[in-house]
Amino acid sequence: MKKKLLIFIFCGFCLVAFKLQETIFFTEPINWPKANYDFSKNPLSAQKIELGRALFYEPMLSRNNTISCASCHSQYTAFTHVDHDLSHGIDDRIGTRNSPALMNLAWHKLFMWDGAINHLDVQSLAPINHPDEMDEKIESVVTKLQKSKIYPGLFKKAFGDTVITGEYTLKAISQYMLTLVSANSKYDSVMRKQSTFTAQEKNGYNLFKKNCSSCHKEPLFTNLEFENNGLALDKSLNDFGRMKVTKKNSDSLKFKVPTLRNVEFSYPYMHDGRYKRLSDVLKHYTEKIQTSPTLAKQLQKPIILSSNEKVDLIAFLLTLTDKEFIFNPKFSYPKNIFLPKPQE
Amino acid sequence: MKFKFFILLNLYFLFIQNTLAQSEIVTTLNFIPKFGNAALILNDSTYPKNNGDSIKIESLKFYISNIEFLNNDKVIWQEKNSFHLVDASSATSMKIKLVIPPNITCNKIRFNLGIDSLVNVSGVLGGDLDPTKGMYWTWQSGYINFKLEGKSKKCKTRNNEFHFHLGGYQTPYSALQSITLNINNPEKISVVIDLQKLMNEIDLSKQNKIMSPSSEAVFLSKKISQLFSIK
Repeated sequence: MKKKLLIFIFCGFCLVAFKLQETIFFTEPINWPKANYDFSKNPLSAQKIELGRALFYEPMLSRNNTISCASCHSQYTAFTHVDHDLSHGIDDRIGTRNSPALMNLAWHKLFMWDGAINHLDVQSLAPINHPDEMDEKIESVVTKLQKSKIYPGLFKKAFGDTVITGEYTLKAISQYMLTLVSANSKYDSVMRKQSTFTAQEKNGYNLFKKNCSSCHKEPLFTNLEFENNGLALDKSLNDFGRMKVTKKNSDSLKFKVPTLRNVEFSYPYMHDGRYKRLSDVLKHYTEKIQTSPTLAKQLQKPIILSSNEKVDLIAFLLTLTDKEFIFNPKFSYPKNIFLPKPQE
Repeated sequence: MKFKFFILLNLYFLFIQNTLAQSEIVTTLNFIPKFGNAALILNDSTYPKNNGDSIKIESLKFYISNIEFLNNDKVIWQEKNSFHLVDASSATSMKIKLVIPPNITCNKIRFNLGIDSLVNVSGVLGGDLDPTKGMYWTWQSGYINFKLEGKSKKCKTRNNEFHFHLGGYQTPYSALQSITLNINNPEKISVVIDLQKLMNEIDLSKQNKIMSPSSEAVFLSKKISQLFSIK
């Protein structure tokens, strides 16, 4: 009797272990802070992530079925829109900000340059609805998906329901975005003691820790806060950032501190994409800081870097490039869904 | 032996659960939108305002949440997952079915007009809270608690339209309102919402568009909470 019970318990353990093995789609890298996203409210599954991936690349999310999330968040450029200072959307309309690079979103609490969005799940509603981006309503996205050939089946696999809702659609997109973790750059392998910096990179890292890391805090390379980094106001945009959301003067000209991971690919830089090269950015911090009442306290004292030091600092920033992330086939256009092989 | 005992125990609980379910009653919380003494009819009817203006109402939608019954200020019943979108264009949405225990004694009903801050920061939700219901702001996260749209010649806007989208969950612009009404018995409750009182206080030539959290939105939300009364 006892023996049977033991066998039963053992089988139970195996089953649980197997289940766990199956459901790990997200892990916090060693020595990283705890993720902010509450996975218990949207437990990851292979089917939901796959559906989210399809939706991320789905142009039906836009009014005239031309623009997908990937249009402005291309994997090969760290999930952002390069070459344009301000990102363009539907009918070549131009927005007012530079699209942010998407990675490590599970750690973020507020989204957008001004933090207007309070949860990853509702983030996608903003670009879907924005007249310069996708100019569509989530209601009609759901209707279009429902009428399509592939989506009722994909939603059934993911949520056990062929009836598509806004909740399912947005949760699936979140799931895919949560898997976009970049933690395998040279910097990361040095931190894990699996490789070493060159002398130049090491010097750059020391300069980084001295001058940059209080806002671009390791390991996410952002403190996730809103700061005024001394950019002169662009009068053609009159973008005061966070103040528009909080209506507080103390938030004037503050924007979310962006991550520097994969910064090699995520040009142009700043909320309005005014700088094309990393050297322009360093020039800003060393020479062009505009003082104003809300200027970040870290920038009150000038940052002084020699031209050699700037080169070293950039050498360090390039160690934040994560090729495994940029070229990970799991994140790319889901050919298997959109372009199924003809049956032989 | 033990196994049989477990089965019996389970059957017993099932039985109890069933009898409990049978002993619950369904009551209706019925919302009746009015304009003064007239029933509110969307789109077609024109309603007079106090300043010679006349208006048409095209959309009236609001969230009712956290419904509770009280007896002498003590909560005796609370609805679970209590979120209801009341939409004047949908007759069924205006009759909220509540499953309550029989023979409860209560003399007040309390509910929120709008969605509380906790839900507002909980990401995407389904049912009446699904963002496809048109009651979620996309460019700045948060639910619209109360939506009233219509037309008036006084509005020097496109198509003479007015839009009041009231919401906001963060201080100092929290628009959520708690409403308490006296009732005799919980079995059938009809709540009138009279828009005339509200519209008579708004000069549509000056105020015809609110679409973000603001002190104006909070002010109007307070006014709106006073429009509710038991029929």
